[in-house]
Amino acid sequence: MNLDPEERWRLIDKVARETVEYGTERSTIRSVLAELTVKPLTGIPFALAVLYGFWGFFDAFAGFFTDGFFVPLFDDHWLPWIQEAFPLKGSWLYYILVGDPEAINSFEALGMLTSGFFVAIGVVLPAIVAFYLVITILEDSGYMPRLAVLVDTVLHKIGLHGFAIVPMILSLGCNVPGVASTRTLETKKQRFMMMILLSVFIPCGAQLGVMLSLIPEYFGYIMLYLVTGFFVFGWLLNKLIPGRSPEIITDVPPLRTPTLTNVGRKLWVKVKGFFTNAIPFVLLGVGLVNLLYLGGVISWIANSLEPLFTGWFGIPKETVAPLIAGFLRKDLAVAQLSAIDMSGFQLITSVVIISIYFPCIATFSMIIKEGRKSGGVIKVLSGSLLTLATVVFLWGGLLHLIGILLGVT
Amino acid sequence: MTDTKKLSELDYGEKGVIKKINRSLKDQLLGRGIREGKTIRMDTKQPINGPVVITIDRSTTSLGLNLAKDIFVEVNNGDTSNGSS
Amino acid sequence: MAILLMGHPNVGKSAVFNRLTGANITESNYPGTTVDFTEGYTYIDGKEYKVIDVPGTFSTDPKDEAEKVALDILAEHDDPIVVVVIDSTKIERGLYLAFEIMERGYRTLIALNMWDDAEKHDLRIDVVRLEEILRVPVVPTVAISGKGISTLVEKVPAANRVDIEDLREKVTNL
Ligand SMILES: Nc1nc2c(ncn2[C@@H]2O[C@H](COP(=O)(O)OP(=O)(O)OP(=O)(O)O)[C@@H](O)[C@H]2O)c(=O)[nH]1
Ligand SMILES: [Mg+2]
Repeated sequence: MNLDPEERWRLIDKVARETVEYGTERSTIRSVLAELTVKPLTGIPFALAVLYGFWGFFDAFAGFFTDGFFVPLFDDHWLPWIQEAFPLKGSWLYYILVGDPEAINSFEALGMLTSGFFVAIGVVLPAIVAFYLVITILEDSGYMPRLAVLVDTVLHKIGLHGFAIVPMILSLGCNVPGVASTRTLETKKQRFMMMILLSVFIPCGAQLGVMLSLIPEYFGYIMLYLVTGFFVFGWLLNKLIPGRSPEIITDVPPLRTPTLTNVGRKLWVKVKGFFTNAIPFVLLGVGLVNLLYLGGVISWIANSLEPLFTGWFGIPKETVAPLIAGFLRKDLAVAQLSAIDMSGFQLITSVVIISIYFPCIATFSMIIKEGRKSGGVIKVLSGSLLTLATVVFLWGGLLHLIGILLGVT
Repeated sequence: MTDTKKLSELDYGEKGVIKKINRSLKDQLLGRGIREGKTIRMDTKQPINGPVVITIDRSTTSLGLNLAKDIFVEVNNGDTSNGSS
Repeated sequence: MAILLMGHPNVGKSAVFNRLTGANITESNYPGTTVDFTEGYTYIDGKEYKVIDVPGTFSTDPKDEAEKVALDILAEHDDPIVVVVIDSTKIERGLYLAFEIMERGYRTLIALNMWDDAEKHDLRIDVVRLEEILRVPVVPTVAISGKGISTLVEKVPAANRVDIEDLREKVTNL
């Protein structure tokens, strides 16, 4: 038997009066902080400070381990050792596993055992540990819903609402859980927009780690261009896609101190996942690209796409190889750019293209899986491919144009 | 002194009792414990038509401003207890 | 036999699930952490139970895809035991969902989670009286420390269907 809602509440009020006693609520440091973090006057400066602080931590942590420990380890010891110790110099096997016998840094050697291991363990592992530490603290403290309240106005302008910040932050760790968490958005329109925008414009922690280690001087420009893209295409998609954009309704939970056990456990799950799911793909990616090089496939594709690459995007045709690796891992793709000779602006453009040309396979499968739940695979698939193609062509081409106008290509 | 306003028009820190919630929103809020007769407190309002943050029964919720326009509150800034109305 | 952990978002369902099954699924302090279901197993009195952590839902009328997953799971299972997990500091609205579930005729059990928070905020709940009125087991728990979880497990077999007509009469005459 079903009660009607009014009656249900009437009964519950009576039950509560009989069994619940409200004592006096004292205000604590925590409850005061809880309020200050959502009040705009104090909340916005606080948010900026938090983001800046976390960013500084990420930079310092990843820098400490990568530059301070792994780079010397790989460049001074592992690389020269394996270049000598591995037999069959000049064979295809040597090429695939060790790569360039003359390379003096581990980014540029391009072998599975050299660049593959270096990128995965030396660069990406410290980056994702630092990143997940930050994200976990954001998650467990209860700060994310407060951030959602503060950014609501801005995201509202593009047909989303504040809570979309949650998938965005999760995507900065890895796009796959980011896409999954779009399930908490109310309408198909919001979900579709969010999935596309995330997978195109939000680089994952692994990619951020490589960017920061390889090209820290261009990092800011690249992020600025991507974030601008997020809002420009968000605005466009909001105009083009039919459907409702309901407003935010969300609980704002109390602030809690993250517990060491929970933070440690989550970090452990992520690191374990990295070893089982990510490292094999990085190695596979290196091997695959080397095989395609040997088979002449890369130069064939590079030559056929040359007009698009040099003419439209203004980047060297050799960028094709990293782009192929990018289907598997974006972090690897960015790392492989280091071996290609190009100008600073071309490097910026290439990294932008790598970010936006296609989601990595893992993210793409997740989009297909989620598409099944929100409007049918065909619709979501064709919609996302169409959007992707448009975004790459326009946003990539525009960057080239900007370069030409600034005279920096 | 009492006076009925839209929730969206309440000022920071103002309290009152929910008198009416428009049909369209009612069902969606019932399960969250936001309903007629409850004491509500406006915690903050975000600038440029941003959302409001309210507390009812010690539970804090954020609502878009247009949604807050569908909720009518009898302002009562005297000290009302926290219990059910 | 299936045990479904249902409740509002962010009340600690995943924390209870991890305690019950020894799993490691994500617990975070924001609503909507869990968007898909996870299954695990636990033994009670030598009997195997399948435990399912369900995405949070505010009512039995879904508002988004995650809530839809939750209600699909509820509909898919044949006569499951539903553990309604409630944030004790927000007990009234938690009971609202518990009522909706009891009205649908499910065997129900209530976990008053975040009991530590309720104590901290000087909120006193008369558990014995609540059990007497509702006639379903009610167990205070603190999922992050594990307090109350063993009692919760013990009481699972006692989960009860509620005669709403009776309940209505009883409550009206309180
Ligand atoms: N103080 C306290 N915190 C708790 C308790 N149980 C859970 N938490 C915390 O509350 C937050 C929410 O817990 P979850 O288990 O993720 O909640 P959930 O119900 O699964 O949430 P959704 O998946 O979003 O529906 C986490 O930060 C937990 O650590 C408790 O009994 N006491
Ligand atoms: Mg959960």
